[in-house]
Amino acid sequence: MSNINGKVYAMNAITPMKPWKTFVLRGFFFLLGHIKPLQQDLINLSFIEFARWVVLPRKRFPYLGNGQLQEDLQYDYLLFFSNFNGTWNQYIDAFSAVLSKGLNLVWRWSEKFPGSVPVTPFKQYIARVQFDTDYYYTAYPHTTANDLKSAHIVQASLDSLCQNAQSCDPEQFADAYLRFVLEVQSHLGETGEAPTVF
Amino acid sequence: MPNKNGNVYGLTILSPIIDDDKATPSHDLQIRRYLATLPTGERSPFALAPGTHLARLVVMDDVIYVGMPACEEHLESKYLVFESNCDGELDNYLNGLAASVSEQLDAIWSHCVGYPGAANRQAFIDYMKACQIETTFFFAAVNDKSVSETLRALQTQHAVADFIASHQGMDPARLQAEFAQFVAELRSAPVPKAGSMGQPRDIKTGGRNE
Repeated sequence: MSNINGKVYAMNAITPMKPWKTFVLRGFFFLLGHIKPLQQDLINLSFIEFARWVVLPRKRFPYLGNGQLQEDLQYDYLLFFSNFNGTWNQYIDAFSAVLSKGLNLVWRWSEKFPGSVPVTPFKQYIARVQFDTDYYYTAYPHTTANDLKSAHIVQASLDSLCQNAQSCDPEQFADAYLRFVLEVQSHLGETGEAPTVF
Repeated sequence: MPNKNGNVYGLTILSPIIDDDKATPSHDLQIRRYLATLPTGERSPFALAPGTHLARLVVMDDVIYVGMPACEEHLESKYLVFESNCDGELDNYLNGLAASVSEQLDAIWSHCVGYPGAANRQAFIDYMKACQIETTFFFAAVNDKSVSETLRALQTQHAVADFIASHQGMDPARLQAEFAQFVAELRSAPVPKAGSMGQPRDIKTGGRNE
């Protein structure tokens, strides 16, 4: 078992919600999905490769018969899965510092959520509702979200340079090549070492 | 549709695990033991099958009690959670998994209630869909590139860094000729294998864990 693969950390959390509150939360997620500027802080943080929230109503747990007992629950549940770069503490600290308003809007509907500021009770709450990953795969383990974005910028710039590389004379090519280097120079390195698996 | 963000699909599956008092060890423990032996690199089943960016498998033992005044409650079943961030359409993705790594899928999901096996492709897809939970909000940092496009871009990034470093101050005619050769070699190179760690590189952009 490990929550870490290369430079990515897999986080799982589940929190109970009173069923009427899930409608409010769904409304918030609807707005978040359709008004892109509301996602700007999440995008700017740039250390989350993929993340999702899943509202799981108490009567919608998969039931397949075959002797399986049906769930009998009072709460709906909010599942959170994140694939982020860095360590758990860095992630929660950054979440609390940068996204506190957004996080409060997501989790304030969950039972006993203390708010994302101050950070100490927030961390205690997350630690309580988190459960560990048994198997974690990534197609590009040595890569962070910033590495991904940079690699696609370099690929697009190279493709663009290649379109005219054959038809121009050497001097024109040298000029285009210089512009290409200036364009990609800050996207060529890789980010630092991966977190250590203990 | 919340399950999709751009071209990436956010698949969330909860499969109830068989609860059998007579099974020793219990089915959830058998899943955990098997997952602990499963490779996570380029021999991972998700690397052998097409289309997975990141995926996880988690045994969820129970819901979590957060303390008074919340009510304490428990699940009747344990669930195997499969969370995948994958390319394209769900049917194609599940078909690809069943076609490529049916043995590993069977080894994992045979401990779950009602699993029909991956050999019966349509039954397998129907089963997975029956266990699927719709994602409410799905975020993807890059949502318009496939796994192979991403691996290709990472390969390009590394190669371009090396090329630029070794061609500084070169006269234009030679630079143009060597650039043409570089691009031809890069385009004919095979796409790196999914799940491969790659070689750590000397050029860094920032500090630890950035």
